[in-house]
Amino acid sequence: MTISESQVGPISEGGMFGKPVPRIDGRLKVTGAACYPSDTPMEDTAHAYLVTSAIARGKIKAFHLEDAKAVDGVLDILTWENMKGKVRSVRFFAGGGYASSTIMPMSSSKIWHAGQIIAVVIAESFEAAREAAYKVGVDYAVNKPKAGFDESRPQPRPMTNPLTRSDPATGDAEKAFAAAPVKIEAYYSTPTQHHNAIELFSTTCVWSGDQLTIYEPSQYVHGLKNGVARQLGIKPDKVRIISPFVGGGFGGKAALTARTAFIALAAQRLNRPVKLVATRKQAYTVSNFRAETQHLIKLGAESNGQLTSLSHEGWEVSSRPDEYKVAGTETTAVLYACPNIATRVNVIHADRSTPGFMRSPAEVPYIFAIESAMDELAVALHMDPVELRRINDTQINPITDAPYSSRALMTCYDTAAKAFGWASRNPVPGSMTDGDWLIGWGCATSCYPTNVAPAEAKVTLAPNGSVRVQSAGHDIGTGAYTALAITAAEFLGVPLERVSVELGDSTLPPAPVAGGSNATASICNAVADACKELRHRLVTAAVASNGPMHGLDRDMITFSDGQLRAPDGQSETLMAASARLGFGPIEAHAKYMPEIASKTIKLVGNAMLGKGLPIMASGTSAGDHIQYAFGAEFVEVRVHRRTREIRAPRIVGAFAAGRIISPTTARSQLMGGLIWGISAALHEATEMDHRFARYVNDDLAEYMVPVNADIQDVEVIFVPEDDTKVNALGIKGLGELGNVGTNAAVANAVYHATGQRIRDLPIRLENLL
Amino acid sequence: MDASSPLKSSPPENLRDRCQTLDLVLQVNGRSRRVVADPRVTLLDALRENLGLTGSKKGCDHGQCGACTVHVDGRRVLSCLTFAAAAEGKHITTIEGLAPQEGDLHPMQQAFMDHDAFQCGYCTPGQIMSAVACVTEGHAETDADIREYMSGNLCRCAAYPNIVDAIKQAKPLMRERDA
Repeated sequence: MTISESQVGPISEGGMFGKPVPRIDGRLKVTGAACYPSDTPMEDTAHAYLVTSAIARGKIKAFHLEDAKAVDGVLDILTWENMKGKVRSVRFFAGGGYASSTIMPMSSSKIWHAGQIIAVVIAESFEAAREAAYKVGVDYAVNKPKAGFDESRPQPRPMTNPLTRSDPATGDAEKAFAAAPVKIEAYYSTPTQHHNAIELFSTTCVWSGDQLTIYEPSQYVHGLKNGVARQLGIKPDKVRIISPFVGGGFGGKAALTARTAFIALAAQRLNRPVKLVATRKQAYTVSNFRAETQHLIKLGAESNGQLTSLSHEGWEVSSRPDEYKVAGTETTAVLYACPNIATRVNVIHADRSTPGFMRSPAEVPYIFAIESAMDELAVALHMDPVELRRINDTQINPITDAPYSSRALMTCYDTAAKAFGWASRNPVPGSMTDGDWLIGWGCATSCYPTNVAPAEAKVTLAPNGSVRVQSAGHDIGTGAYTALAITAAEFLGVPLERVSVELGDSTLPPAPVAGGSNATASICNAVADACKELRHRLVTAAVASNGPMHGLDRDMITFSDGQLRAPDGQSETLMAASARLGFGPIEAHAKYMPEIASKTIKLVGNAMLGKGLPIMASGTSAGDHIQYAFGAEFVEVRVHRRTREIRAPRIVGAFAAGRIISPTTARSQLMGGLIWGISAALHEATEMDHRFARYVNDDLAEYMVPVNADIQDVEVIFVPEDDTKVNALGIKGLGELGNVGTNAAVANAVYHATGQRIRDLPIRLENLL
Repeated sequence: MDASSPLKSSPPENLRDRCQTLDLVLQVNGRSRRVVADPRVTLLDALRENLGLTGSKKGCDHGQCGACTVHVDGRRVLSCLTFAAAAEGKHITTIEGLAPQEGDLHPMQQAFMDHDAFQCGYCTPGQIMSAVACVTEGHAETDADIREYMSGNLCRCAAYPNIVDAIKQAKPLMRERDA
């Protein structure tokens, strides 16, 4: 590991925050012992296989199940005819409920989108279930579907009178744009994308009497538990979700999908465990995805580069029944100082499954548009793009004047520019070459709101001095196990190897969804609160009249190396101190409420968390301020002069994200994010056959993601930042920060290499011919 | 997974009664293991569903992601594209059998930990099996070679640079050990 301690700022008092340590669950992962939900051993399991719709719009006229039922080993086939009315509706996740979509497959004969679940075959073996699923005959009544956008460039609507209050605006952007001496006006677009976590969407259900246990990879076990209970009409305490390891989530495993209830019902009908591992192809429609977007950006500036007008209109695609939108204008409107701002977001409904969260849902498409336009403006001004950001940097929200809690954007730019060697860039497009390769250098801003949620955690100190941390949070590869262990070790002064962490089980104290990059900030604060309570009890006993530190100032007592220590050199082991509090373990259960929570969240947040509802205090409006993490990303691309092959051999990102609890895993998160960004810029797109509203590259051979050979040098730099306004521990989430600015940085580098401005992602060699 | 796994090593009666089954013996991690399963069962599903060896992962079932990589007679193969029946009589090594003895780590496993060469960990067993083969094949001589010969294993968390670093650490240790 190449992280030096000085890179993340001073080490904390307890010696643990900011110290690079190996991931505590690493051994389980390298030995194959980490138990992902579909790995759970189980006796007498029946296997399920999904049948999905071949059409995007219409209805099922009839099923022909004879051939399927004749397959040896087939046990049951679920269709709408036997499932109708068996699953109750639940509210949409983005509307404050549980479901990733309000589309209820198999509740009627209606088809809302291609790939919708229309039958579930259960058999003795996976092979028999698959064969029978292939033999399910379906007669459809087909209607012509709408696949998405009808036109490549949608018509803008007047911005003078925003239709909703949620569209951020100030001043008169139209008028200022008309008067601006330098202008940029351009359309940009981003494609449909799918998470494609390598772990498939699996669900295994087991009933024991009226108690249902569900093994399913989840980014929100309390949400899944409560959602399924409501769907099945049973009490939430009769449902348990077990998901200790998640093989990648990226937003795809955050909300309740339709499959779970069907597998639970199948297990009930057969009175034996039923296991589903949906196929890779089915992964494109059984959960959510990132919808394609379009953007019209208009920037007006003075000839010195100062922005005078910024307008951003976005268009997004959603399903017929659900109004899902990511609306990244909330962020693009506050990114730079500008007196006149107008924004609008439009949603187009189509015969598609409902889109949803995918890593930096709002920021990836919207920041691509604004950061590409900023680069175009720098070119028009003959100005260095870093200097353009500096001129327009702001420490306040330009619409409300509320301050950023901290904003080290320009420090990030200067740090990354130096590491990258930006000063030696010749700004003339096509001017830098290496043999047959045209070299392009580009940069862009990254940012992500610092969201924080209510969270609970229990910390137990055992008589042998070991520490147990329990919370129904999730480690989806983010390093949560490690960050929480570090937090407990920091506050209780115990070695890391004495701390164990349990996550991903709905019987544990409720924690928020692993989404919105809130988890480290939220749950570490809960663990810290629980540890502080334990410390208080231990210190109280130590300074009591019968204690070894009687008469000493309690504030002077510190915790390190498994001991309570007084300034005069006296010490007592945690074990001895704990024993004087009584026999057995001592435990503390903390309920953390974010400092920035609104009055409403403070009132109902804990209750909502317990019910598994989405509850989060947003960094975009944190009371009297706004709070974001920032970064600056610099990319080198090489475009081959003759073949137009594009490579991205080098990327540097500098990030200011408050206190870094676990530098090892934080660095990996940001590095993975940067590579996700390269992927979004150069590789990924789910292609649509618009005639039938069906995806055509729905597998890992044809949906392009980077392989090892696509990636070379990736450098992550932490810019130290101290900001305790965001939360008591000063943590800004960074799981989604890394992949935000990258796609624009790559596109800007491609322009620098070739002089060709590509405004529609992904950029492939055919765009550069 | 170990012998205490509740998974039966003998066939479930209902499977044998109701379906056509195949009865075979696989040499896995130095042990003979009996598998009674559907004749179409892949090596991956036989390992996971019949033998309780769930370290090998299913990420695509179509040979596109590499998460199911195991060694058969010392060569890396995609167990999702291999029929269990075709592996009979061959020596199969999975991630569970990579370390020389229980409780130890293979130098490649240790190197993956040291370099944080994974995040979610799901592709990791396949990456490690490929990485070991990459070294033994002689394809780990340059960074570019490592990247090329590790490109059959997708990592969506994108730990690629750390994977390259891990292989570079493990390579001399493997050669030392094997010398």
